[in-house]
Amino acid sequence: MADLLASGIIYGSIIALGAIGLTLISSILNFFNFAYGDLFSLGAFITFFFLGLLGDWGTFFNLSFGWSLVAATLLSILVMLVIVLLIDRFYFKPLRYLGAPPLFTSLASLGLAFILRAVINIAWGPEVRYYSNAIQIAKKFSFGIRVKPDEFFIAVCTFVLVFLVYLFLKKTRTGKAMRAMSDNPVLAKASGIETGKVIMWTWIIAGTLITIAGTFYGIQVQLRPIMGWHFLIPLFVAVIMGGVGSFWGALVGGMVIGISEEMITGTVQNILYSLQIDADMSVYKPAVAFVLVVVILLVRPHGIFGKKERGT
Amino acid sequence: MISYFVSFLIIGSIYAIAALALNLQWGFTGLMNFGIGAFYMLGAYTSAILTSGPTTEHIGGFGLPVVAGFIGAALVSGGVAFLIGFPALRLRGGTFAIALLAIHETLLLVVRNESWLTNGVWGIRGIPRPFFEVVNPKHYGYIYLIIVGGLLLLIYLAIAKAVRSPWGRILRGIGEDEDLTSMSGKNCWSYKMQSFIFGSMIMGIAGAAYVHYTGFVSPQVFNPLMSTFIVWLMVMVGGTGNNRGVIAGAFLVWAIWVGSDFLTDFVPAAVATRIGFIRMLFVGIILGITVLTRPQGILSGEKRN
Repeated sequence: MADLLASGIIYGSIIALGAIGLTLISSILNFFNFAYGDLFSLGAFITFFFLGLLGDWGTFFNLSFGWSLVAATLLSILVMLVIVLLIDRFYFKPLRYLGAPPLFTSLASLGLAFILRAVINIAWGPEVRYYSNAIQIAKKFSFGIRVKPDEFFIAVCTFVLVFLVYLFLKKTRTGKAMRAMSDNPVLAKASGIETGKVIMWTWIIAGTLITIAGTFYGIQVQLRPIMGWHFLIPLFVAVIMGGVGSFWGALVGGMVIGISEEMITGTVQNILYSLQIDADMSVYKPAVAFVLVVVILLVRPHGIFGKKERGT
Repeated sequence: MISYFVSFLIIGSIYAIAALALNLQWGFTGLMNFGIGAFYMLGAYTSAILTSGPTTEHIGGFGLPVVAGFIGAALVSGGVAFLIGFPALRLRGGTFAIALLAIHETLLLVVRNESWLTNGVWGIRGIPRPFFEVVNPKHYGYIYLIIVGGLLLLIYLAIAKAVRSPWGRILRGIGEDEDLTSMSGKNCWSYKMQSFIFGSMIMGIAGAAYVHYTGFVSPQVFNPLMSTFIVWLMVMVGGTGNNRGVIAGAFLVWAIWVGSDFLTDFVPAAVATRIGFIRMLFVGIILGITVLTRPQGILSGEKRN
């Protein structure tokens, strides 16, 4: 049980990293970005590209990867920021200028999702790839918890990143403007907030977080061009569950989904096993997120932390 | 060559039926259904299980007539739409789309893994083709084209009549401004549910029409791109809310899709293996360009009537 909880927290922290950026985009830009999952894959693959260029620089803390992956991730973030800002300038900005309804912008983002996934597939091919082929020995703790050094690294980094984003939103002028835009766009514009600047910073934060989340996923699982599309559903469920635009909601939503995907399928598997029913429940992990969102929406239609109905 | 063209027309007509159903839900009622593939798949599997011969590999093999398969497909798709509608129709716009996408992925997991029901990834074989015995197998395409063409015409006439009726006017009202329609005393939830069920039944019929043509069904066909988003592209290209435009859009998009098959003969082998992704790139680019430059549709002159 405790072991399932530990792996759920690791998976949940990757979802939370992605969901925080997505919730900011959904509320500040006022549309659901269906290309977000494929940006996640793209970030992970660009890191893979730089890792190949940089070679091996030695490692630390017994991780399966080393300093070169850290450097590759930083370079990947820079490239991804250029990409997302260009996408916004030449794809989403014209739509904002036209005053396209949120649903049409969502459809446009769907088109972008296919373009990005096709580019990833054409550039890298559909094969499964890994950052490292090293096999890690998990460290054993009490209650049967086994944590690999990689997983520990991911959890700590997530914690630090979430804290930094929180400080940015809470303390800086731009962060406050972003929260204002997310809360009430009309009022924010009326009080003289520079929309362009706020939108740029939203993309910068979301682009950084999604690249890191994609790289973490690549470390923890594997790299596949389709992975981002499959990851999109848990991300959206975390956003909706937490309430669109809510920072804490995205964090809690991501964690809840990560933990429950691991624990519910694991527990049901154990029950079936004790009843001597032969069934593989692990294939239904992705379905847990869906069942959760239905339950949450029936109980609290605006999400756990959501306050009001939104037009999107 | 002729048989290739007939096959193109048959699959094109099946997609046109699905596109008409989506147009009813999205073009008129404003329901952003990203789970078309789910209802298409339900219809396909229902009809396959009801009509195929006895087997030990999976449930069913009831050997019922093809007509019963079509009716079953419509009833199951409509019934599931009714059940999904309760939680999902409380959501608006984008959230509804995400919920439907999640439902499609979940049902796809069930179909892939529950082999007692669907025979898993191996799929169901031996699905009867109507009137297959009466003609030379070489000319069977013509018979099926008449059946599917008739079905398309029937569904087009039914939807065209429905959207012109007072019922259809309320749907259009919901699509344009739900709050306003609600304020004029209409029960929007109930009308949205009716449109959702009606459209989903038609998607189920499209699925049944597909399996009785191919005689075989497996989960691979129902990936989101091939079963949901290509239909979205057809509606966007044809013109949201324009029934005839949507039918033309379906055939045009399918022609581009099939046409890119011919390209594989002219490009180097290394590129040919990735032709599927180049198609995906085209889908994305066409969708993006349509929304950016002509949101009313490439083939459609004006926005709605």
